[in-house]
Amino acid sequence: MNTMMKQSAFALVLSLGLVAGCSTTGDEPMTDEEMSAVDQDGGASVYGGDGDGGISSDELRDEQRRDQAEQGASGDDAAMRRITTFYFDFDTAQIKAESRDVLAAHARYLANNPDVDVRLEGHTDERGTKEYNLALGERRANAVQRFLVVNGADRGQIETVSYGEEKPAAMGSNESAWAQNRRVELIFR
Amino acid sequence: MTATNQAPASGRTRQYGPVALVLLVAALMLATTANAELMIRVTKGTGEAVPVAVVPFAESGDLPAGDDISTIVRNNLEMTGEFTPLSAERMLSLPSSGDDVFFRDWRMLGQRYLLVGNVTREGDRVRARYELFDVNSEQRMLGETSTTSVNNLRTLAHHISDKVYEALTGEPGVFSTRLAYVTLDEHEGSPRYRLQISDVDGRRASVRLESREPIMSPAWSPDGKQLAYVSFESGRPEIFVHELATGKRTVVASYPGLNSAPDWSPDGRSLLVTLSRSGNAEIYRLDLDSRSLTRLTDHWGIDTEGEWHPDGDGLAFTSDRSGGPQIYIKDSERASPRRVTFGSRYNARPRFSPDGEYIYYVHQRDSGFHIARTELDSGDEQVLTRTGSDESPSIAPNGRMLIYATRQGNDNVLTVISTNGGAAYTLPAANGDVRDPAWSPVLR
Amino acid sequence: MLLSLVLHGVIVVITLMSWQWITPLEEPPEPSISARLVSPEAVPPEETTAPPPQPEPDEPAPVEEEQREQQEEEQRRLEQEQERQRREEAEREEQERLEQQRREQQAAAEERERQAREEEAARERAEAEAEERARRQAEEERKAREEAERKAEEERQRQEQQRREEEERRRQEEERQRQEEERRRQEEAERQRQERARQQREQQLEQMAREAEEARLAEQRRREQAAAARARETEMQNERARYVSLIGQAIENQWYPPSSAREGMSVVLRLTLLPNGELQSVDVVESSGNRAFDNSAVSAARAIREYPVPDSRDTFERYFRQFTIQFEPEI
Repeated sequence: MNTMMKQSAFALVLSLGLVAGCSTTGDEPMTDEEMSAVDQDGGASVYGGDGDGGISSDELRDEQRRDQAEQGASGDDAAMRRITTFYFDFDTAQIKAESRDVLAAHARYLANNPDVDVRLEGHTDERGTKEYNLALGERRANAVQRFLVVNGADRGQIETVSYGEEKPAAMGSNESAWAQNRRVELIFR
Repeated sequence: MTATNQAPASGRTRQYGPVALVLLVAALMLATTANAELMIRVTKGTGEAVPVAVVPFAESGDLPAGDDISTIVRNNLEMTGEFTPLSAERMLSLPSSGDDVFFRDWRMLGQRYLLVGNVTREGDRVRARYELFDVNSEQRMLGETSTTSVNNLRTLAHHISDKVYEALTGEPGVFSTRLAYVTLDEHEGSPRYRLQISDVDGRRASVRLESREPIMSPAWSPDGKQLAYVSFESGRPEIFVHELATGKRTVVASYPGLNSAPDWSPDGRSLLVTLSRSGNAEIYRLDLDSRSLTRLTDHWGIDTEGEWHPDGDGLAFTSDRSGGPQIYIKDSERASPRRVTFGSRYNARPRFSPDGEYIYYVHQRDSGFHIARTELDSGDEQVLTRTGSDESPSIAPNGRMLIYATRQGNDNVLTVISTNGGAAYTLPAANGDVRDPAWSPVLR
Repeated sequence: MLLSLVLHGVIVVITLMSWQWITPLEEPPEPSISARLVSPEAVPPEETTAPPPQPEPDEPAPVEEEQREQQEEEQRRLEQEQERQRREEAEREEQERLEQQRREQQAAAEERERQAREEEAARERAEAEAEERARRQAEEERKAREEAERKAEEERQRQEQQRREEEERRRQEEERQRQEEERRRQEEAERQRQERARQQREQQLEQMAREAEEARLAEQRRREQAAAARARETEMQNERARYVSLIGQAIENQWYPPSSAREGMSVVLRLTLLPNGELQSVDVVESSGNRAFDNSAVSAARAIREYPVPDSRDTFERYFRQFTIQFEPEI
């Protein structure tokens, strides 16, 4: 009984945190604290990604702030912004660690250029079902959108669309092709 | 009964010996016929497809090439997985009417049923006369004469197939139904998506929509006259309703985010759709007249791929609320959806059998994706396909066949299987990749 | 015997009559004689008790002589007669013993006669003169003769008596023997009766034993038959089970349930077979309501060219001549 209550309480806290994480994707911009809360509370559970993603994300945030400061100082964002495709693991919308610097550069760019719009196209590999993949692609696009907004972009500058598995970047039924197809592309206009 | 008859009989034996004997024999006979008759119970059959001989129809007059009726019928029967048609080369004789049939020949060949017929061209029309026989009973099960226009021979062949199938199985045939699917090929360096409709054997395909952007998820209206689908032609997914007879198209859902996975309600008056206007994929009922929305799911996970239960009460859908995609059923009996798949970490895109007893879906196992089904009462799961990249199962309206998309080499193809796991039949390759098949209801 | 007696009687009577006839002068015999006849005791010459003086024999009177001659002649004639009688007797009778006895008696009688004659002679000598005495003497002699006669008669009677006694004895002996024989016969009869009874009893016992044995055998036969019937019944049941299984398998191998078959559907066919396993007829006795399903069952039943059926005709007739098959898919 006691154990059950504990479990229930934990589940309640967990789900509250998750719902909060989801519902904050609305109009109001997500704060850094909120983003970090999502990652800490639900990152692994919600998106089913690798367990170490959450742990490394704290370290990266420190690095990120450091890099941000350095980059701001060096003004080398333009080089990074040439990278517009960000990859994901199977059936997750977890932004990979290596994507964060670049995405942050894009966010700064958007923040500094309010008249620039960006379209986020979410994709999946061919595995699984089309409609589910369409939703999964959208979730990836939304994850990137949140990251950009958290990092300074205005939500109004960002449009998201999911193609699911309909527009693979690479043909073939192998892990290499699949890895290239699980992606979000940023298209600036 | 025997005892009461025997007692007086034996009492009179001295006087009425023969009478008593007769009575006794009669009593025994009565006993054997009324009481002791043996009953043998048979609970299973061969488990094999039925051997059936479709004799090439005799033809008279100038008939279009490639539309041989008996060949179409033979292929149709074979496609079901329920029949193994005898090849024409092995036939000992080629009767074209019942009068010419020597049943012994067909029994020797182990055939159970026999279809014979002939086709005659009469001006712009053709007349087909055919007869179906039970080889063992030597009885005619079916006999009919049909006429059609000369360029409609395939329709006639499918009609005959339906009649034969129904006579043999007791269920309506689905050979006159149609398939909707999407093809993709490259055209002058750019992709070309085409929404097509064909006969169930893949023949007589016709393009109903062509787009450089993806077309997805065609869904037949219950009357078979309209298709709903997702088209990206505007650069983002929108749901269209397409009237097939006129080609008239209407956007019925163009909300921010996802507009996907349409499914017609059994009454044809609403669609189930997946929208992410709330920021997350949820399933709604979209009333086609009022365009009003009713939200049916409410969860932070992905909820999509909804399908109405055949009786209209409740729906099945895919949700990853447990961490990965699984199938849930929501009906009026329970407030919260119940999960019905547990066999692996990926089960998605549910489709009910027409009787609502089974749910078919895409099932991941050993890193491959297969079509599987679960009997809802028992929860027993059965994997139906051996291919490895299987998607988009769609069930024939009689529940006996299922079409799905899979990969064959580097091509995406459509394959038909028997829902009990029988023989597979791959539709003749259309140009390019084929995906997203949808089996029409019975068309009237 | 009787004849001889009668003959004797006749002879004696004739003798007496002839004797009386030739002595008409003789006085009738004293009645006492007959009284003395009663005593069969022999011999004592009562005359001697008071014997008259003995006449001298040396002086025979002529009368006497004549008488004597007459007597002698009479005697001789008597003797001859007797002899003849004896001979006749001897001829007629074969019993030596009686003849002998008679001869001895004759001898004795002769002796006594001789003595009597001597005494007569003495007396005649003593009473030579007296007619009276002579007459008496004659009388005496007559008496003596009569006496002798009487004695002979007595003797004869005695012998006759003896003979009769003998006869009686023999008769008694015979009677005894007869009785003995009768007794023995009766004993034998009794013995035989008992033997028969015993045999009858034995036969009865044997019969009972035989009947018991027969009953036992009949019971044994009955038991054996019952056991055989039971064994046959068991065998038939085994055959039944075996061929039910074989037919069921054969049907399964020929049955293609249509896709419309559902759990709970059932069609019942009645099959009639010929003893060679050939299908004679098949009828739907209980339809499933699904024509294709019914057809599939009938087709399966008809597809079997030769049903596996038991060789034993009784099993075939009892179970496989006509039976039903229920097709009830378990899907």
